[in-house]
Amino acid sequence: MAVTGVAAGLAEHLGTSAMRVRVLVVAATLAGGAGALFYVWCWMFMPMAAGEQTPTRRVPVAWLLICGAGIAVAGVLAAAQQDAVVRVDLPPVGPLGYTWVFWSTGPWAWTATMAATAAGVWGGVIDRVDPARGPRHAVVVRVLAVVVLAVVFLAVLPLGDVRGVRAVLGELVLPLIGAVIIAASALLQAWRQLVDDRIGRVREEQRAAMAAHLHDSVLQTLALIQNRSGASSEVSRIARAQERELRAWLYDGDSPADSDLATDLRDYAGALELDYPVRIEVVSTGTSTERASGELAAAAREAMLNAARHAGGEISVYIEGAASAVDVFIRDRGAGFDPAAVPADRWGVRESIIGRMRRSGGTAAIRSAPDVTGTEVRLSLPTGGRRD
Amino acid sequence: MTDAATAGEPLRVVIVDDHSIFRSGLRADLDPSVLVVGEAADVDSAVAVIAAERPDVVLLDVHLPGAEGTAHSLGGEAVIVGSAGTGTRFLALSVSDAAADVVRVIRAGARGYITKGSSGADVSRAVHAVASGDAVFSPRLAGFVLDAFGAAAGETAAVDDELDRLSGREQEVMRLIARGYAYKEVAQELFISIKTVETHVSSVLRKLQLSSRHELTAWASERRLL
Repeated sequence: MAVTGVAAGLAEHLGTSAMRVRVLVVAATLAGGAGALFYVWCWMFMPMAAGEQTPTRRVPVAWLLICGAGIAVAGVLAAAQQDAVVRVDLPPVGPLGYTWVFWSTGPWAWTATMAATAAGVWGGVIDRVDPARGPRHAVVVRVLAVVVLAVVFLAVLPLGDVRGVRAVLGELVLPLIGAVIIAASALLQAWRQLVDDRIGRVREEQRAAMAAHLHDSVLQTLALIQNRSGASSEVSRIARAQERELRAWLYDGDSPADSDLATDLRDYAGALELDYPVRIEVVSTGTSTERASGELAAAAREAMLNAARHAGGEISVYIEGAASAVDVFIRDRGAGFDPAAVPADRWGVRESIIGRMRRSGGTAAIRSAPDVTGTEVRLSLPTGGRRD
Repeated sequence: MTDAATAGEPLRVVIVDDHSIFRSGLRADLDPSVLVVGEAADVDSAVAVIAAERPDVVLLDVHLPGAEGTAHSLGGEAVIVGSAGTGTRFLALSVSDAAADVVRVIRAGARGYITKGSSGADVSRAVHAVASGDAVFSPRLAGFVLDAFGAAAGETAAVDDELDRLSGREQEVMRLIARGYAYKEVAQELFISIKTVETHVSSVLRKLQLSSRHELTAWASERRLL
């Protein structure tokens, strides 16, 4: 039965069994209390093992304590009844000055108070972080514990008239102290919660401040490097790749990286920019449900690769997702070529782009001529068009 | 669109950016036809410099310190609002090429937008375009405009001066710009003159500034950095 897992943790660290550690701790506790102190110290300061959940205790310690307190309260009530009667009728005799030591409220009240206080603190401090119990359980236990303390107090209070306030003072003050301790543990919890919240908020603020700072300094510098070094230079490409990475890292939380067509082509553009002296701008409009794994995406990637390989420089990719069809335009500003003059063995254009689009139920058109600037590939796939 | 400037006096420009490295870099990179007459690093100094110099064009960083907690929390917005009445034209510069913040600055009154990664020649060209009253649209901004006005979903204005939707011709122009076409190429493609293309783009810019379409206001207020 693990209480906080200290013994097990120590045992693992020392290479012995948990039971042996427990026996040692209990022995040291009995011999002067050092064991208990050591145990609490370890519990407070030892770090949790990485990835470990807060332990769940099989034994409902808080409920056992509450039950114990309940039984003791019954004793208090019975004794109080008896005491009130007995005390008046019989003179005190015996070694302790009580005729009926057994019927005295004293021991019962002490037991009930201790058990209820322990239950309240246990429920509030230890069970609260227990995933199987939680805050609600803590509140119930605490309320019950306070009820027990109140009953003890109210049961003992009338005895003051009979026995004199001084005789029952201890039994009256003790429940009050117990209630204060339970309240203190609850306050401690709330305070800890507050501190945690504040730490979380500060972290979030720091992250935002860092993002803003990087945005203002590093991203700006990378932009400057790009515009000073010419669009297709090596330095510019590295700066652009870095900018892309930093941006993805900074703002990843904001947009889920689902693999739709636009995201996929953007990623591919980033990869191409690293390999070829090109600068690719991907613009997408409308809502596209086209998957990144589809034939349209494959054809678009092929067209982008062609543009990067043969034209270089600036390449524009435009994706438009309309209700009836998805269109992708890939435009470069290279020397251009005559599609009719492409030799039959050039599989890149003929098979990977035109053939692929035709097979999937779409169309591909290539517009290029030596006299106009650049080449534009237009891919179009009707929504619900034949796939595979 | 560059003939007005190449012939006469150089255009007087103020650069507003909180990064001194970026300012000096851009300054060194601009054409001789563009004369930098002032620089500013925050909202207040920008408003002061613009009022003193009365430049033709202000190159304005979208994100600028000195506007936190004011009615116009975006630095660029605050500068434009603060400089109302000077007759200066603004070209927005942004390091994040997402259009959302840019749209806020454009709705405040900027005549166009260009990313900070653009070359000095590109920036100079954009400055001339803005100075001569044209609008400067990047492909990404054009894509955003198509989205925001529901063009991709098939919405088309019934009459040309409708503010909340684009006319068929405006959509064609925006689509070509989004595909990476320069104004000249757009003109060739649509068999219209460059002047007509510029008219369409200016009209789109006007709609962008005046429209109360939900997408525009929502986009502009929701997103902060990207």
